[in-house]
Amino acid sequence: MTNADEAELAIEARGVEKSFGGVQALRGVDLTVRPGMLAALLGPNGAGKTTLVRILATLLRQDCGTVRVLGRDVLARPYAVRSVIGLTGQYAGLDEALPGRDNLVLIGRLAGLGRRLARQRAADLAERFGLAAAAGRSVRTYSCGMRRRLDLAASLMNRPALLILDEPTTGLDPGSRVELWAALRELREAGTTMLLTTQYLEEADRFADAVHVLDHGVIIAAGTAADLKARAGAQVVDVLLAGQGAAAAAEALRASVAPSDLHVDEASRRLTIVARDGLTTLLTTAKLLEADGIAVADIVMRQPSLDEAFLALTSGISGTQPSGAPR
Amino acid sequence: MTDARITAAGPGRIVGWRSERPGAGRLARDSLLIAGRHLRVLRGNLGRLIYPLLQPVLILVLFVSVLENLASVSGGPYRQFLIPGIMIENVVLTAPITGLALVRDADTGLADRFRSLPMSRSAVLVGRLLSDAVVFFVQALVMIGVSYLLGFRVHTGLPGLVGIVAVAVAFGIALGVTCAWLALLIRDVETAERALFFPFIPLAFVSSAYAPVDRLAGWLQPLARVNPVSSAAAVLRALADGGPLAASALQLAAWTAVLAIVPGVLAVRRWQASP
Repeated sequence: MTNADEAELAIEARGVEKSFGGVQALRGVDLTVRPGMLAALLGPNGAGKTTLVRILATLLRQDCGTVRVLGRDVLARPYAVRSVIGLTGQYAGLDEALPGRDNLVLIGRLAGLGRRLARQRAADLAERFGLAAAAGRSVRTYSCGMRRRLDLAASLMNRPALLILDEPTTGLDPGSRVELWAALRELREAGTTMLLTTQYLEEADRFADAVHVLDHGVIIAAGTAADLKARAGAQVVDVLLAGQGAAAAAEALRASVAPSDLHVDEASRRLTIVARDGLTTLLTTAKLLEADGIAVADIVMRQPSLDEAFLALTSGISGTQPSGAPR
Repeated sequence: MTDARITAAGPGRIVGWRSERPGAGRLARDSLLIAGRHLRVLRGNLGRLIYPLLQPVLILVLFVSVLENLASVSGGPYRQFLIPGIMIENVVLTAPITGLALVRDADTGLADRFRSLPMSRSAVLVGRLLSDAVVFFVQALVMIGVSYLLGFRVHTGLPGLVGIVAVAVAFGIALGVTCAWLALLIRDVETAERALFFPFIPLAFVSSAYAPVDRLAGWLQPLARVNPVSSAAAVLRALADGGPLAASALQLAAWTAVLAIVPGVLAVRRWQASP
């Protein structure tokens, strides 16, 4: 029996561990995703994102911990989990030699749909993802972006209550990326619960309702994008010098910038300054450099990069929340 | 046990859920769907369709033309002896494709897709074998047709013909299952390509396919006698000429069962357990 409280959560993972050989890919992951949310699992390569996704999708068995998807335990009832999820993996799950339409119908029917319903949905989804004209052509002739859209359409054939996407935008050109995001946004507006993995902070930032940061097999931070940004620290000012003389430039800035806020890379002639005062930091920096006659090739203010955000998040949270999502 | 009905907030509703483990009905249905997939690929791709059809014609004509004047056997024309051997050779050459197809699927995102669906997992293997059975069936008909043009005669009428086709299909499936299991053990497509075809050279030649066992080198004879290819060739000859069938048929049946069942179970397990 599944009681109503458990069924309320789309994903509920507790203390999930997984090792491959001697390598611990997941070291006690807790993850909660409520229905209707678009949750992002953010992390660098090798953080364990794909391992976690594969456990959620019943493709891998965890060593320890419990995972429930829509109230169904992934180990005890994998088929019940499979009947309510859709998975778009890193590699397109399509038969290249078959037309797009046949792929959709096949996957729909294997998901349990009757022939008529599968054909109807295949036609609808092809239409919706702008593939109607190409539906009769073999997938081999599709562009990368079309493949991704078809793959996503295939994941939607069984109308999943939870859609899992593993790095859906990796390897896509900017145009296709925008198209895919438009499709995902439309799905979210329709209320589909989604979990997607990404390496891109901006992506998680712009689209996700909740962001879970995974690093070295542990969730090191979780919350809304705004929470994380606040925790990841201020913006930074990036200076690229026109010539050598990074040391002199650092000297010029010493009056206004605390040493811990200044990072100098002599080799690439680059200075990175934490913008504690926002735009004022940028203006002060520019003035000080000009006053000392140091030529600047480029000066910009930007969000902290993923690396910098990770550093800030790991150091910010150590000691208080060794593992697990603080929610 | 009844489950709470999940109402997807998404683009549609999931009403209830299917019974936990797909039963025999689901296995049959999904296997047919998978078989349909492979056959549709064959139908839609001339390149993939033409080779399985060309291969039997080619090896029949080549082997007969090259070997015929070199050899003779007691009790009839060499052609009549050789052609059943070539029919089995064709099966042996085709079977590795089954294994390769499976490991190629396992290598792509499609395998993950299938494993994440509430379908019967065995259907991936069974369905592929069904579509291969169709290929073996069509190949057998082509071979019988070409053989007839080359002067091969089936003296036992329709039952003999049906028997020949049945043996070719059954033996092909059994070898196909073995290949599937081996391919899944190997996992690497390129290694599998070499490894699967390699054992079939001795398998085909250390047998009675091209020459009677007592004409082979002495040390090969015991091997040739237990080789399933020998029993398959012997059964085809007996079916064509109306000779004694029982002993070789029994040996072939045993081989077919062993080659199909044990690796079949292991292959399905392997597929299910794949990362």
